[in-house]
Amino acid sequence: MAAAVAVVTPTRMELLKLKQRVSLAQRGHDLLREKMDALVIEFFEILRRIGEARTSALKQLSQAYRALSICSAIMGTIETRQASKEARRELEVEVSTHHVMGIVVPTLEVEKVERSVLDRGYSLYTTSSVLDDASREFEKALGLLVKLAELEESARAIARELEKTKRRVNALEYILIPRLRAALKFIAMRLDEMERENFSRLKRIKAMLEAGA
Amino acid sequence: MIIDQVLKFELSRLNVHLPERRISLKEALKSAKPQVAARDGSIHAFKREELDLLAKTVPEAEWERLYLPILIALDPKLGRGAARITGGAEVKAISQILEKKGADDELLIYRPEVAIVRRKLPTTTQYLFVPG
Repeated sequence: MAAAVAVVTPTRMELLKLKQRVSLAQRGHDLLREKMDALVIEFFEILRRIGEARTSALKQLSQAYRALSICSAIMGTIETRQASKEARRELEVEVSTHHVMGIVVPTLEVEKVERSVLDRGYSLYTTSSVLDDASREFEKALGLLVKLAELEESARAIARELEKTKRRVNALEYILIPRLRAALKFIAMRLDEMERENFSRLKRIKAMLEAGA
Repeated sequence: MIIDQVLKFELSRLNVHLPERRISLKEALKSAKPQVAARDGSIHAFKREELDLLAKTVPEAEWERLYLPILIALDPKLGRGAARITGGAEVKAISQILEKKGADDELLIYRPEVAIVRRKLPTTTQYLFVPG
């Protein structure tokens, strides 16, 4: 604080400039704090949605693995593995972005996660309907996982911005504004001191002039 | 002085996510891809289910007067955590959603209510930071 005060020139001009800087810093601090509060609301909302999405994704995955176990038991492990190799693996995901308070947040849209039996690509002649059930369950799980990925990436982006904003708010609150206020106080006190010095000097001169006359 | 420039830049960036022009609910409902262009050039899309919720909440006569996105104004003068909604139709819609009574053209809401509004209308509402 002392170092900041030492470099300040104690003039009225500097005092006015400092007052403007304090007001700008205070305004910035208030607005950034509002932004931080809004980001906290968004962050907690996303966390809540992540919790829900994760629960439903895990539930769906457990159903899917159960269906896969049944399929392996009925069709046989080698046949199931063979069918999985034959299946089409492409999934079209449209990745776009949207903004939450200027933060770029990803949006993942899957046109069609659940495919028809013919679209899956494996042979219908050599496979059983339990494989269709297992595939359907896994496709549903995939849709939920894509949604979960979108939410988790959004949470990460919001958390990064929250951290940045918090650092700025703290820098303003604990470093910049107190330094500016200290400098302001120093100049005001120095100017008062100079005024007092001037006043006593004038008094002294007046007394000397009166003594001379 | 560099700090001041950084601060001014930060403040100027606070509202870049806001749209260049807001569209009415009626316009949004008619559109195949309801969206608005933001000041930074990005596109902000509205979810169809939110538009349907608003359409159910507000009488049809008001659809033309309800402009989207609804702005949640965060003004440091109001105090920490308080927000303001302005506009007759917008106030009516948010009051209905929160089951809260407001004045004709202005509604003050607080942090838990902001969270509820954002939860129900994540794409059809946006934050507006009001510089002091």
